[in-house]
Amino acid sequence: MYVGIWLGLVVATVAEVVTRSLAGAASLLALIILLISSGKAITIAMYYQHLRYEDKRLAILPIAAVVGVIFLAVAAAMTMSMGM
Amino acid sequence: MTEDYEHREESKSTYAPIILAAGIAVLLFGFVIFLPLAVVGGIIIGAAVFMLFKDGANEKFAEFKESVEEKWPLEFLSKEKLGIWLFLVSEILIFGGLIVAYVYVRLSSNSWPVATQTHDVILGMSNTIILLTSSLAMVFALYSIRGGNIKGLRIGLIGTFSLGAAFLVIKLGIEWPQYYRNGFTISSGLPGSTYFLLTGLHAAHVGAGLVAVGYLLFRSFHGGFTNTKHSAVENIGLYWHFVDIVWMFLFPLFYLI
Repeated sequence: MYVGIWLGLVVATVAEVVTRSLAGAASLLALIILLISSGKAITIAMYYQHLRYEDKRLAILPIAAVVGVIFLAVAAAMTMSMGM
Repeated sequence: MTEDYEHREESKSTYAPIILAAGIAVLLFGFVIFLPLAVVGGIIIGAAVFMLFKDGANEKFAEFKESVEEKWPLEFLSKEKLGIWLFLVSEILIFGGLIVAYVYVRLSSNSWPVATQTHDVILGMSNTIILLTSSLAMVFALYSIRGGNIKGLRIGLIGTFSLGAAFLVIKLGIEWPQYYRNGFTISSGLPGSTYFLLTGLHAAHVGAGLVAVGYLLFRSFHGGFTNTKHSAVENIGLYWHFVDIVWMFLFPLFYLI
């Protein structure tokens, strides 16, 4: 199973590079690439870090940290929109 | 070695973590105030790492068993696993904050060099695959020792260490000198300083991970792990996979977008 997951991650990495060379709006391509990389990160966390098989309450810790980062990103976006 | 931790002698403790913290403080203080002091800090860190290896081999890091009441509401989690996950939470905040800062600076900038013209995408992709494979090797190591396979554990750890080292050699030995020759340096502007800060911090984490994997390898050759006693392999594996996850975001942010 883990070799299969590794293979999927490698294919996803190649897909990111291929996406970069496609024609299209730069922001759309960037979004697709970041979605692929997020999927890869979640896959590693769920399977290699075993979050999928651990007590669900353990996931609260990394999710809380990610929420903190999202909060920071929202604050930065608001600062940018105010022209600061 | 007895598993009866309730009767463990009080002498089974170590000063290594405190000495390591002091060494890091002296090192960083030296970088800011007086460079020769940083060398002293490096020596202290080296001594502390040596102590950690030695004390780990003498099993001074065993976990005390507590009553359920003392562990509530985290009774489902061992102290070691809680500790490593809390550490990873702090790392998520550090890297997340730096990545948000990079995106902010980049979006606020009037011009930014095209990623594929500044960075070698194929080299970056190869390095990504190398790091992914090192994570697979780490998983192989863990599942080997869970099945009592010491040889498999050692093969997995050697694979993890070799691939992690290859990642660093490519980054620090090939990519970075190439960038410096082309005038893309840490002080050449915001693109350079953000790239070298984030990838440099990541490389430092990979380096620290290599020291930890080296410790596991050392213990695996000294009878340190069995199929029922291998939590260090799992916990250091969690850290190694986190380093991999961070690169999953750094690679597209700097090399593709």
